[in-house]
Amino acid sequence: MTDPARIRNFSIIAHIDHGKSTLADRVLQLTHTIEDRDMVEQVLDSMDIERERGITIKSQAVRVLFTAADGIEYTFNLIDTPGHVDFTYEVSRSLAACEGVLLVVDAAQGVEAQTVANALMAMNANLEIIPVINKIDLPSADPERVRHEIEEALSIPADDAVLTSGKTGEGIREALQAVVDRVPAPIGDAGKPLKALIFDSYFDAYRGVVALIRVVDGSISAGTKIRMMATSTVTDVEEVGYRRPANVPVDELGVGEVGYLVTGLKDPSLVKVGDTVTLARHGSTEALPGYRDVKPMVYTGLFPIDGDQYPELRDALDRLRLNDPAIIYEPESSHALGFGFRCGFLGLLHMEIVKERLEREFDLDLLATAPSVEYRVTKTRGDVVTIHSPQDMPDAGSVDFMEEPYLKVTVLVPPEYVGAVMELTDGHRASFVNMQYLSNTTVDMHYEMPLSELIMDFFDQLKSRTKGYASLDYELIGYRRSELVKLDVLLAGKPVDALSFIVHRDKAYARGKMLTEKLREIIPRQMFEVPIQAAIGGRIIARETVRAMRKDVIAKCYGGDISRKRKLLEKQKKGKKRMKNLGTVEVPQEAFMAILKVDD
Amino acid sequence: MTEFPEHVYVHVPLCVSKCGYCDFCSVVTSERLADTVVAALTVQASTLAPAGSCAHASTLYFGGGTPSVLGARLPRLVTAMRTVFGVAGEGAEVTVEANPDSMVPALAAALVPAGVTRVSLGVQSFDDSVLRVLGRPHDAGSAERAAGGVMATGALDLSIDLMCGVPGQDMRSWEESLVRAIDTGAAHVSVYPLTVEPGTPMDAQVLSGVLPAPDPDLAAEMMLTAERMLGAAGIVRYEVANFAVPGHESRHNSAYWTGRPYLAVGPAAHGMVAADDARLVGVSATAPAGAARLRYAYASDVQAWLDAPLAPPAEIEWLTADEAAREDAMLGLRLSAGIDPALASRAGVVGVLESLVGDGLLERADDRWRVTQRGWLLGNQVFGRVWAGE
Ligand SMILES: Nc1nc2c(ncn2[C@@H]2O[C@H](COP(=O)(O)OP(=O)(O)OP(=O)(O)O)[C@@H](O)[C@H]2O)c(=O)[nH]1
Ligand code: SF4
Ligand SMILES: [Mg+2]
Repeated sequence: MTDPARIRNFSIIAHIDHGKSTLADRVLQLTHTIEDRDMVEQVLDSMDIERERGITIKSQAVRVLFTAADGIEYTFNLIDTPGHVDFTYEVSRSLAACEGVLLVVDAAQGVEAQTVANALMAMNANLEIIPVINKIDLPSADPERVRHEIEEALSIPADDAVLTSGKTGEGIREALQAVVDRVPAPIGDAGKPLKALIFDSYFDAYRGVVALIRVVDGSISAGTKIRMMATSTVTDVEEVGYRRPANVPVDELGVGEVGYLVTGLKDPSLVKVGDTVTLARHGSTEALPGYRDVKPMVYTGLFPIDGDQYPELRDALDRLRLNDPAIIYEPESSHALGFGFRCGFLGLLHMEIVKERLEREFDLDLLATAPSVEYRVTKTRGDVVTIHSPQDMPDAGSVDFMEEPYLKVTVLVPPEYVGAVMELTDGHRASFVNMQYLSNTTVDMHYEMPLSELIMDFFDQLKSRTKGYASLDYELIGYRRSELVKLDVLLAGKPVDALSFIVHRDKAYARGKMLTEKLREIIPRQMFEVPIQAAIGGRIIARETVRAMRKDVIAKCYGGDISRKRKLLEKQKKGKKRMKNLGTVEVPQEAFMAILKVDD
Repeated sequence: MTEFPEHVYVHVPLCVSKCGYCDFCSVVTSERLADTVVAALTVQASTLAPAGSCAHASTLYFGGGTPSVLGARLPRLVTAMRTVFGVAGEGAEVTVEANPDSMVPALAAALVPAGVTRVSLGVQSFDDSVLRVLGRPHDAGSAERAAGGVMATGALDLSIDLMCGVPGQDMRSWEESLVRAIDTGAAHVSVYPLTVEPGTPMDAQVLSGVLPAPDPDLAAEMMLTAERMLGAAGIVRYEVANFAVPGHESRHNSAYWTGRPYLAVGPAAHGMVAADDARLVGVSATAPAGAARLRYAYASDVQAWLDAPLAPPAEIEWLTADEAAREDAMLGLRLSAGIDPALASRAGVVGVLESLVGDGLLERADDRWRVTQRGWLLGNQVFGRVWAGE
């Protein structure tokens, strides 16, 4: 057990790509947590998807030992967090295990949207904020300007900001010293019964559910009989320890310590992130505040390509949810795709990542349908229903009016791109609220716009129209009435429920037309001609045709190389397997996402 | 040993230069390389069929690459191979592939006494602009002269290869190539739609937009045109891509489609033998349980093969009796004659064939299953489903 006075718990937070994970690398090296020869870049990004995409998706807690200027050794628990807007919830959960943060700001990029959003979260959680201006090795670094932006945009004094480079290692020791000096030690009562927050969890194939905890009061060790307050789960602790980042067992975790707890439970539903762990007998009666439930932003259907995998998909979702409590799901069935789940996600990247993790970690082949938001329908009889899927849209006749979610959107952008942003937002039913200069290089623009427009390729467009300079943050502000219609898509004359979507009446015609065009490009030529139609309430508004395939022959069969010929045929067949067979039409998976790439 | 294969394929991996679309096993030739290749081929062949063995091959096929770049070495190589594999007498078919630039009249004349009976000339097109797109080392004029030289021997069957669906090639150019091919007096014509293989220079040109991608619809029209025009000249389709005056079909190629075993000699050369005969081609591994057929190929890297021409096959693939039957059914459907009901049921594909009839790709006539007009153009659909058995 560590003396709480010698403990510092902090998160590293920042806008995406500002160098959090690289900074964490240097900390791990400087503290000899990982030896140089075992070091890889962004070592805490341990998932394959994280390494491939070069971004952090999951927060990672790791314990390091730092000898401060006064010669005293401190136990740091640092949490590297993701920066992408879709994973804000991940950051907020990490903050609940900490007393302070290193707020990293790229010395060239300056303050961006998630710098602001994450800093505000840290302030609301009453955490000590240490500004760190990073990447000072870059030729384009401008720490003075960034200092000014931090003060202007966040009202945080920045004259004592630490200047660092995760690349050269400069300033890292100073940053850690600042943690010792400025982040308060955790406070708790060792004499009280155990109270610990579950801030994360995962499923281990051998050991079952493992919870990551932050001890507030009391202590916990292997053998302790514990109760999780919200789920009323009682179990014997199999092991406790800390992460380095591999699990290191210890006898006991005490006040202020962060570590893991092997519950021995095999049923993921018994453990809930945000729950409080206490003693089974004579435990605490007061739970920690925990986390507010997250509200998904986008919903999509996830269907196993092979219908037999439905039960596996359900188990996989149960297990993944332990590690990603932001996922929400309920069973859904589709004429076209069979049984699957309607899932709620925090954004499109989140959706993509979850789908990919399900496929990789659980060996599934999944198809995702077009994302939708949550609509509210008030019926003529006065009752209100919420729908997450176009398939649930009631008959036009029974609908009095509909409402859709609106966002407050913040765009931070250099002044020269203000016009480009205006133009883009115009096309997305956004209304301008106001704008303000944070510095002569950054303008803070505010809009209100429907969430359904934001998921329509808005972010990619924003990035490309501002040469990557714009950053974006948003929050839900409520529901507003809107003229919405359901657009159906018919392939070879048959409606395909999984392709329908809900759209604003004014945009229906254009989107329908562009969608059919896009589908014509995506759907490969087949043995027979495939008409593609878009329709509203039975009225066809657009039509395209995929012409029948005329020729499909393999060229010269060389010198009796039959094996190669067969392999080509097998490959062709495999390609087909990746497609969804809808009646007589083979549809590639991306067709279901085509609506996102339709932009006007 | 069940039977010594009657068919032998010999690969000559040399060309004067590399064509832009080529992904065949060949390297640019030189005098030294040509000598080495001939020596290595001869050595490999002799170990496959020890002199005085029971070898009585009925067809020999020299493919490439470009066998004709061997020049005066080619008749010597042919003679050596005929001896090794016991090719003798009236019925034998000995084919050499040739390119117009190296198939000079003197070479044609020298091939006759060596026992060659057919020359397959890689003309591809009689349109110089199409030849340039393909990066071929010859022009239309040399193709006509080479064809003339072969015909002038009075003893060689001429076959001409033509390519359709080449970027920039239009229907008029195609028709003209067909007419000129017919006019050479060739008794056999092969027609291939161009495929742009990944990694070839042409692929790079298409990707970068320098060349338009081949238009599959136009290629389909061209194939129909070929069938019509060649047919009118008495050169009729007997296989997906091959047309001949009846009686002049390639017996060697037909062996591929009818499940007959064949031996391979040379780099990247492919062979097929009964699983029991694996030892015959240097495969010492015991066949897995249920294996009925062995497909094998030698190293496709020319230098690697030259370094060890006696090395066992670099690639082997065992097929079960069921797989072999499905393969036979799939390959048999490449022929105009189609397959008989016995093979169809042995391969367990009757259901598939029926559904292909439903799609208009096959027909049942004269108690055989045959590919239809539409089926010829969509051959992969037919072959793919028959091979998959579903
Ligand atoms: N020049 C320079 N590049 C850096 C520095 N720190 C990080 N980078 C580079 O910036 C990119 C992003 O670094 P990461 O450490 O992955 O950033 P992050 O903040 O963890 O990103 P997310 O977790 O996805 O939000 C990588 O290409 C790093 O190599 C630095 O101090 N100097
Ligand atoms: S002649 Fe044939 S083998 Fe030689 S390079 Fe050209 S296409 Fe390739
Ligand atoms: Mg990171």
